[in-house]
Amino acid sequence: MKRTLKWMAIVTMVVLMVPALLMAGGGKEAKPTGPVKLSLWGGFPEMEAFYKYAAEEYRKTHPNVEFTILTHPLREFEQKLSATIPSNTAADIIEISMYANQKFIEAGLIPELPPKVKEYFLAPSRFSEFVKKNNTYKDKLYGLPIFQGRTALFWNKKMFQEAGLSGPPKTLSEMAQYAKKLAKYDANGNLTRSGHSLRLSGQGSGVAEKFWFILYPMGGSILEESKEKGKYHAGYNSDAGRRALKYYIDALYVDKWDSHAIKHDADAFELELTAMFFRESWVIGDIAKKAPSLSYDTAPVPADVRWGRITNPVNLYVTRSCKNPDVAWDFAMFLNEEKNLVWLLDNVGWLPVRQDINLDSVLAKKPQFKAFVMSDPKYEEFGYTVIAAFDEIMTKLAERLVAAFLDKSLANNPAGIAKVIQDAANETNEILKKAKLYGE
Amino acid sequence: MNRMELQKRIFAYSAVIPVVLIFAFLRVIPIFQNFLYSFFNSTVVDPMQEFIRLENYQELLKDNLFLLSLKNTTLFALFVTVFSVGLALLVAVLLATRTKLGGLFETLYFLPVITPMVPVAVVWKWIYDPTYGLLNYFLSLFGIKPLGWLVYPDLAIWAIIIMSVWKVIGYNMIIFLVGIRDIPDSYLEAATIDGGNKFQVFRFIILPLLKPILLFVTIISTINAYNVFTQVFIMTSGPQGAPGNAVRTLVFDIYENAFRYFKTGYAAAEAVVLFLIVLLLTLIQLRTGGKEK
Repeated sequence: MKRTLKWMAIVTMVVLMVPALLMAGGGKEAKPTGPVKLSLWGGFPEMEAFYKYAAEEYRKTHPNVEFTILTHPLREFEQKLSATIPSNTAADIIEISMYANQKFIEAGLIPELPPKVKEYFLAPSRFSEFVKKNNTYKDKLYGLPIFQGRTALFWNKKMFQEAGLSGPPKTLSEMAQYAKKLAKYDANGNLTRSGHSLRLSGQGSGVAEKFWFILYPMGGSILEESKEKGKYHAGYNSDAGRRALKYYIDALYVDKWDSHAIKHDADAFELELTAMFFRESWVIGDIAKKAPSLSYDTAPVPADVRWGRITNPVNLYVTRSCKNPDVAWDFAMFLNEEKNLVWLLDNVGWLPVRQDINLDSVLAKKPQFKAFVMSDPKYEEFGYTVIAAFDEIMTKLAERLVAAFLDKSLANNPAGIAKVIQDAANETNEILKKAKLYGE
Repeated sequence: MNRMELQKRIFAYSAVIPVVLIFAFLRVIPIFQNFLYSFFNSTVVDPMQEFIRLENYQELLKDNLFLLSLKNTTLFALFVTVFSVGLALLVAVLLATRTKLGGLFETLYFLPVITPMVPVAVVWKWIYDPTYGLLNYFLSLFGIKPLGWLVYPDLAIWAIIIMSVWKVIGYNMIIFLVGIRDIPDSYLEAATIDGGNKFQVFRFIILPLLKPILLFVTIISTINAYNVFTQVFIMTSGPQGAPGNAVRTLVFDIYENAFRYFKTGYAAAEAVVLFLIVLLLTLIQLRTGGKEK
């Protein structure tokens, strides 16, 4: 009898334990009930407001999760990642573009997407094919896209009206003509307002990226894929590359609608020191804060032999050091919910990557976003080549371009321009060769 | 050795050894590791992926960016050292006589030293702004047209030199001031009684007695100037930043190779060259400065 009772007790315990074990390990949602601390680092300080807003929203249903959110200017952030990812001390969630993270991915320091997130990412029509390709490395998916840097032309409506121009330029040659009309000079002939603010200086790869905005419509690219898959060579040692550089040189020294000795970029546009410039959608949020009365609109990047804009998706990655990756990914997917992305566009100005959401409420209030979300079969999307060496290629090309933009002797000097492009392309190819990625 | 002596020694060693160990761990070992890495090809995860002997050093000789950085750094170090030491000495001599407002001036000159470099560099970036900068406004009062201080390569390096001299002048001044005030008054009085004018007193009394301090300040200034980074990093960032190559310095180049491109071995080789240059200059200064001792 005693023996039977003993066996019954054991069987009862096992029966009771099985569901408990199943619930703990195989349930649909692994929700730790104890306190969970998550840290998130980003390289775009204006995004901090969004993460804080979303964290509060998330905590309404997950009160046990606490967040630490830290953002830095991009270059400092990249430096921080360089020190912390290899040493496994980075935040639980990091926000960065695929190309900047590629060196860590290739080194096996960033985990791929878990099955649940992968399924979410690949849901039909949620993200574009371009984004899916961008986030794939060796047939594995990395990073959940959150927002993207897409470029459009910002133009000052008041200045255009004063100059008798009815709308934004549609081609690059029109853009140069308009810029010439819109530029203003003082009595001594010094430029006081640029027609179009080009990116002429500054460290990092920004100068090369902005050069690409002109290069691409002219038919060139930074890298071209070779016949052999996964191998590349410089894509700008061509007529397109030379024309793109000439465009800058003419602007500075022939037509003189831009100058080094004047303010540039978003600051210049907000202070009405330039009539046009290329930038991403975050500037709309910035203008709303700093120059709310500015009369402006946006337009697609003007075309030349082709028509296209850069698209640079920024992703969320859960790091190896994260102790609660399930919760971290759950939060990353929560950030991608429609209501949060609408809030992001409306309040911060960065464009969501998801393409299956309705942004009409924001577009009605802020029509300047339309040029960023518009799509046209002829309006191509191009982006960073996802190889670790790309950052070095862009940065070194940028340094050469900065030097070229300062070289007055390149004005009306096709041979000089060709040499600059040739030398830069040689350097690009050399970097590719060292990385064993070069192909004819 | 008696027991008392032994106890003293044990106490002394137990006090010193932990500090030596920490110093070795944080400073000495990394220096040797850096030397070692400079002979290797490296990746993000493996700084010693492949032993390549002297290839990194051979590559340096052909690297235009490294040679440019070396040239810029040497130019920067030369001018910053000469101006910061010279001007600091001048200010220190002027402030050495205790006056009512002397303390105020000492504080004013020393303020930039205690201000962190990052905000200082940001403020100077505004000062150099081509459109709204204070410097261009000041120059416009004399009819000088606006200049792109941080944009034109010929000006950019000077813009950073001016800012760096302004930043360190107070530190050098305080050290000189301490040295000058340490000279017994009787020496200065004797020289004056003997008919020496102010310049002669400075030339024949103050300067020779200040030589060890002058040597120290020059060495420290040279080492610091060769390690310039923060102001270059800040002032080259952003669309209005200086052209990177125009003000590219060695530490900036090392940073870029190590932390942007992950060429740790190559960056280590650059760091070794920087170390050897600074070591050589210090030895030369010690030798020439210490000759008349």
